[in-house]
Amino acid sequence: MKKCIARVYAAICMLVMLVMMVPAMTYAAEADQTRVAISVKVPEDWQDPCVWAWSEDGTNAFDAWPGEACEATPDNDGWYYVWVPAWANHVIVNANEGTVQTGELVLDGKDAWITVSDADNAEVSYDALTTGEIPAYVEKFTIHAKVDESWQNPCLWAWSAPDGTNAFDAWPGKAMKADDNGWYSVKAPIWVNSIIVNANEGSVQTEDLSIDPAEIWVSVEADGTADFSYKDPDKAEIPNVTVHVIAPDDWAAPSLWAWSAPDGTNAFAAWPGEALTEDGTWLVKEIPGWVNSIIVNGNDGSVQTSDISIETEKDVWVVVSSAEDYELYYEEPEVAADDATADSEPADTETTDTENAVTDTEPADTQTDDAAETATENTQTNNMVLPIVIVVIVVVIVAGVVVASKKKTK
Amino acid sequence: MKKIVAAFLTLTMALSLLTGCQQGKAEQTEDGVTEIVIWHDKEDEVAEILQKKLETLEPEIHVTLEKKSDLTESLKMVGNNPKAAPDMYFFAHDKIGVYAEMGILAPITDIIPKEDLKDYMTNTIEAATYKGEIYQLPVYYETLLFLYNRLYMKDDDVPATTEELYSYMQENTRGGHYGFVEQHSTPYYAAGWINGFGGTVLTADGTPQLDSQEVIEALQYHKKFVDLMPGETEYATVNTLFKEGMAHATIAGPWLIPTVRESGMDVGVAQMPVIDESGQQISPYMGVQGIHVLKNAAETKKDAVEKVLRAIMDPQLEIDLAKASGCAPALNSCYEMEEIQSDEIVMAMKETAEHAVPMPNVPEMDVMWTVMGNLLTDVNMSGKDVEESAQSAQKEAEQLISNMR
Repeated sequence: MKKCIARVYAAICMLVMLVMMVPAMTYAAEADQTRVAISVKVPEDWQDPCVWAWSEDGTNAFDAWPGEACEATPDNDGWYYVWVPAWANHVIVNANEGTVQTGELVLDGKDAWITVSDADNAEVSYDALTTGEIPAYVEKFTIHAKVDESWQNPCLWAWSAPDGTNAFDAWPGKAMKADDNGWYSVKAPIWVNSIIVNANEGSVQTEDLSIDPAEIWVSVEADGTADFSYKDPDKAEIPNVTVHVIAPDDWAAPSLWAWSAPDGTNAFAAWPGEALTEDGTWLVKEIPGWVNSIIVNGNDGSVQTSDISIETEKDVWVVVSSAEDYELYYEEPEVAADDATADSEPADTETTDTENAVTDTEPADTQTDDAAETATENTQTNNMVLPIVIVVIVVVIVAGVVVASKKKTK
Repeated sequence: MKKIVAAFLTLTMALSLLTGCQQGKAEQTEDGVTEIVIWHDKEDEVAEILQKKLETLEPEIHVTLEKKSDLTESLKMVGNNPKAAPDMYFFAHDKIGVYAEMGILAPITDIIPKEDLKDYMTNTIEAATYKGEIYQLPVYYETLLFLYNRLYMKDDDVPATTEELYSYMQENTRGGHYGFVEQHSTPYYAAGWINGFGGTVLTADGTPQLDSQEVIEALQYHKKFVDLMPGETEYATVNTLFKEGMAHATIAGPWLIPTVRESGMDVGVAQMPVIDESGQQISPYMGVQGIHVLKNAAETKKDAVEKVLRAIMDPQLEIDLAKASGCAPALNSCYEMEEIQSDEIVMAMKETAEHAVPMPNVPEMDVMWTVMGNLLTDVNMSGKDVEESAQSAQKEAEQLISNMR
């Protein structure tokens, strides 16, 4: 009885805990979306104040030090504001590119006003010390620009077309910050879709650039011509790698198809890709280091492996046994001289049983087997089961009766 | 006494063996309950609503919904074996021809009179019909939708025609972003362009049409759009491009919408653009999900099967499915209800379905997916001549179909 009561008690406790967890979980989900405004007033020699913020468990609110740049609060001289996630209640106010800073300030997760007297003295208030409303939170994206050396102090001018709403107060717009990689950067509101990069106090500029509101890299020539990419061009400068292949003997003129997933950028112009060339035991092809997916094919693309995922920036060795089977290595395996089969598997190896890739939205399978015949065969197989079962039952009954009879005889 | 115990044990063992062989499927239990087993492959939200509805038939009828990931192959294997097969299955309509030819399906009209199906959308009944017989009770349908990211493509910018779409793609496919992406070399997706040109991959009698003028014109016209899309456009690539903000618009199934909404995207749903060349909208395939009755169950459990079917015909069930999983009801009357009229996605599917083409349900379609996939690869990715590739694909399809017969 005691055990029973204990079990019921434990079950009730678990139920209560679960019920209590539901609102907490809901709150956590909502809290992720909530932001609070932090207003700061800094000493006059603190230029371009930023806020660095993190949560109790160490999760940072921003990508890198010195954190999010503050904006001047309209009609409140000397005050700046920034929006931070409500969960990031540990903050440091800093300025001068992070070279001066306060100590750690722990906030209550609500709008706060911080008056910084110096690096060692900062006072937090939850009563408004500014007048008027803090401008609403607007998501922003980063615009990077690399400009010619003759372009000094580049700025960004940004607006929304066709309505013409400007993101910044006056030409030449917002000054871009020099990063340590040769690029300048600045943030603009997410509703911007048109920009001009300019410099030398607005005397040189690009033409109007229609862009998507997404992180973008703009390369600007001395004459103002510009090109842009939504991928960091410096990251594309990855050295080529070599794919080594052993293909089945009956695959004529093996080729390699290579691309980057999931963006779908192809390494070669058209299927079946480019021919693999002989290099001793292996067929080889050099491909861009950013490739992470390949297909080995033969017979002008009519036979092929499935998609093979590979690690970027690494030479690979692929031993293809058939369209369904391949072995992938990141170190050269030992292979028999006259046989396209690997003898041993080094440590960094993936052995994969491949299947032809079928998307989960394809409405029909593509099997061509004779369904009716298969079903008939299976019906016959299943029909065999019943007689077997009957025989087993009869044997069991007979055995039971024999056992009972013997016991009675004794 | 020992003899009685031995006999009892023997009988118990025998019964246990028999029960095991029945695979949990009894005709009618001794307390008068009829057991009905329904195979399906649906997501939990759909199955739960079906289960809840079918529980209203208790205690007279007990329905067990069994999820089968390999439903189509399993049915091919055991469909003829009453002891192993289910009584009914819930699946898309496109396998009807295969199973009807196997002789394992009973026409729905053997149980529910045809006049009771008047409220169903015409194209759902058309999809459920094979060789003049209705083999499926439609429940809901799916079509592809034109989806767009409102951060990039404003509602006013949504292209009404394919030429407007092409101009938009030219203007916005730059720097690694795409104006529009789709699975251009996947037959299910490319079919919308072919249908929109008035073409078809396969006729109702199972004759391939890959070298028809309409198909060739569709592939030729579609190619210029393909040239402004990434080369690799399988499912994961296209969906990731759209979800991660690297593509402004796409054509995808309604199943993508919850995922992109979770990522914070303000996603818009619009009508398919009208193809300037043909004057028809891009007309994707329509897949109709519904319930099918196996012949054995129709013969041995007709009353119970009818009660199950009539429970599934309840419009409220379709409304519940729409609310839970965005399923577009097959019953016309559901669209008169506010709950459905206020659902943007379901109503968009309804509008698209007016131009959609039911996926062929003839067995010959099985071989067409591969042949058409190869044709699309040749044209879109290898740059081969459209006409020659189409003729070659047609011959291959004819050969494969001839092998089937």
